[in-house]
Amino acid sequence: MMPLPLLVLLAPLVAFALVALYPSIRTKGTPAGLAVVTGSTVSLMAAVMMLVGQVGLERPIAHQVWRWLPSGGNTLAEVGWLVDSTSAPMLVVVGLVALCVQVYSFSYLHDEPGPALGRYFGWHALFVVAMQTLVMAPNLLQAFFGWELVGLCSYLLIGYWWKEPHVGKAAVKAFWVNKVADGGLLLGLVVLAGATGGFSWDPTGLDPALVTAVTLLLFCGVVGKSAQVPLHVWLPDAMAGPTPVSALLHAATMVAAGVFLVVRAWPLFEVAETTLTIMCWVGGITAFAAACFALVEDDVKKMLAFSTCSQLGYMVAALGAGSVVAGYFHLTTHAMFKALLFLGAGSLIHAVGTNSMKAMGGLRRSMPGTFVLFTIGGLALAGIPPLAGFFSKDLVLEALQHSGHVGPFVLCVAGVVLTAVYMGRALFRIFLGEVPDGVHPHEAPLPMMGPMVVLGVATVVVGFTGAGFSTLVTGSTAGGAFHVGAVGLAGLVLALGGLGVGWWLHGGGSIQALVPLGRRIESSPLDRFYERLWNMVLLAGAAVVAWLDRYVVDGLMNLVGWASLRGADRARRAQTGRVTDYVTAVVVGVVVVVHISSGGR
Amino acid sequence: MTGPLGWLLLAAALFCTGVFGLLTRRNAISLLLSVELMANAVNLNLVALGFWRGDPTGQVIALFGIALTVAEIVVGLALVIQLHRHNKSVDVDDARELVG
Repeated sequence: MMPLPLLVLLAPLVAFALVALYPSIRTKGTPAGLAVVTGSTVSLMAAVMMLVGQVGLERPIAHQVWRWLPSGGNTLAEVGWLVDSTSAPMLVVVGLVALCVQVYSFSYLHDEPGPALGRYFGWHALFVVAMQTLVMAPNLLQAFFGWELVGLCSYLLIGYWWKEPHVGKAAVKAFWVNKVADGGLLLGLVVLAGATGGFSWDPTGLDPALVTAVTLLLFCGVVGKSAQVPLHVWLPDAMAGPTPVSALLHAATMVAAGVFLVVRAWPLFEVAETTLTIMCWVGGITAFAAACFALVEDDVKKMLAFSTCSQLGYMVAALGAGSVVAGYFHLTTHAMFKALLFLGAGSLIHAVGTNSMKAMGGLRRSMPGTFVLFTIGGLALAGIPPLAGFFSKDLVLEALQHSGHVGPFVLCVAGVVLTAVYMGRALFRIFLGEVPDGVHPHEAPLPMMGPMVVLGVATVVVGFTGAGFSTLVTGSTAGGAFHVGAVGLAGLVLALGGLGVGWWLHGGGSIQALVPLGRRIESSPLDRFYERLWNMVLLAGAAVVAWLDRYVVDGLMNLVGWASLRGADRARRAQTGRVTDYVTAVVVGVVVVVHISSGGR
Repeated sequence: MTGPLGWLLLAAALFCTGVFGLLTRRNAISLLLSVELMANAVNLNLVALGFWRGDPTGQVIALFGIALTVAEIVVGLALVIQLHRHNKSVDVDDARELVG
């Protein structure tokens, strides 16, 4: 029987190969989608079986590696899989959200031409393979491979409608910002390998200064992938991709890869005090600032994107505060309710035909299913019990309080209020009031509602698994004593207050009161700065390289070509075409050879 | 016993005749005859030296050489016929397709 970890990878890989290699499948959307959904289903089932095995008492660890590029007794690194209590939950999260999103895509993109849809589903399958490779990586090098592959899938899927100029730009922007960050990650790996000769996350016997340097460099990659300030600018633009892509890659799983990397390499991060403090601050600032950006955003998808930045900030801050359970648990719950929110947003956009929340209103009557599910997601995001977001956010805040980092704690608490405000504003704006003229909304079809219901149920249920989750991840029952303390209650009060402010903003007729504020805090100055940097550094560098290429490299090529032509023109005169001349040459040649070989006598 | 010197001189004379013919003739058949002369000079050398050393190998190889020469001449004559069909002449200076 095939090992389960292999099945997790192979099922989507086979689907990808089918789509990529068989034009008859690729050029028609439905067969490609069926193949990919089948692959994801098998993958998810294998992942669930492994998670069940982890929850069981014996705590089995599936760990197998092969030597990669062996030469003699040495090997550069190992590849394989490591399924333990850290990676098993993530496998299930990725598998579940991927399956929901792919089923949803069928209906959401049914108007797309067949070849484009085949391409779309193929990349979805490749994404699942890449993400699970990253999650199951037994060392940092394999994780890096998966990391870059998911980045590639992100680029390809953001650019799905690449014929629109702004979509292509958004894809390139996402790619470049991530490359800048990945430069740090790669450097970290090189430093680590240079010092230890391997890519393991075991810090025993390492110089503390070295560990700090390595973790800081790894954290650079996390800042890019998980869209932390100041590299968050690519995530809102990434919303140019199809909404299901935003749900899977840019909300639930891929952007959480950064957080997961820290969880995975926790033994390294745990002993690097400086790095943790920096992480805590970066996370806190991101949680607060991105919530501010979300407050003034009118595009429903971009608002959710800023919200994702903000929630990722909570996870990073929790990890920085030293609580791996809080960060990881918030990742899990966030994956569920944010994917739900994005799929709900897709359903709204499908019905209204625009992303702008100004064009929405009074949709609760015509879209009751979406109304209920989107509200569940929104309240979970705001941290209202008994939904998942309440439990995980409570854990994060408590971890921050206990860590003694006052600044990040205050920022995150302020973020709780802002989250509730922008989410409340959106909910009231979209579902209450009057339907604008000319809008004839309709409820989403069943294939879109199904995945949303699954994620909605998960959003309600996952919050209660916190104790079990903690036991699983930490390996002891000590962290299982879940309670709602003063911080949790304060958070709840603040969240309700925030929702009230949202109601006031909505009832006040409009968002006009916030527009001047929004002008001041919107993130575009940073965008402009990056653009200038891009123009000055990258384009100038490219111009220099282009000049070198045109005049030096090409000049050398042309010189070689010119010399060959002239030389050949001279040499061809030796070919007279007369047989006797050739014979003469042979005879002279034989005489010379014989003369030389006989020693010149 | 004067040794094989006379035979070797004869072979050398034959070889030089062949080379001279090869260099001066224009007729394809003459060229083939010249090549044949050179080959036979080599055969003569083999037989003479083998006989002098009391080793039959030289004669055996000469026989192989004759057989090979026959095969070679067959190919050569076929080429000459093709040349004639193509150029209506067996003068090799008329075949100048290889000119650079």
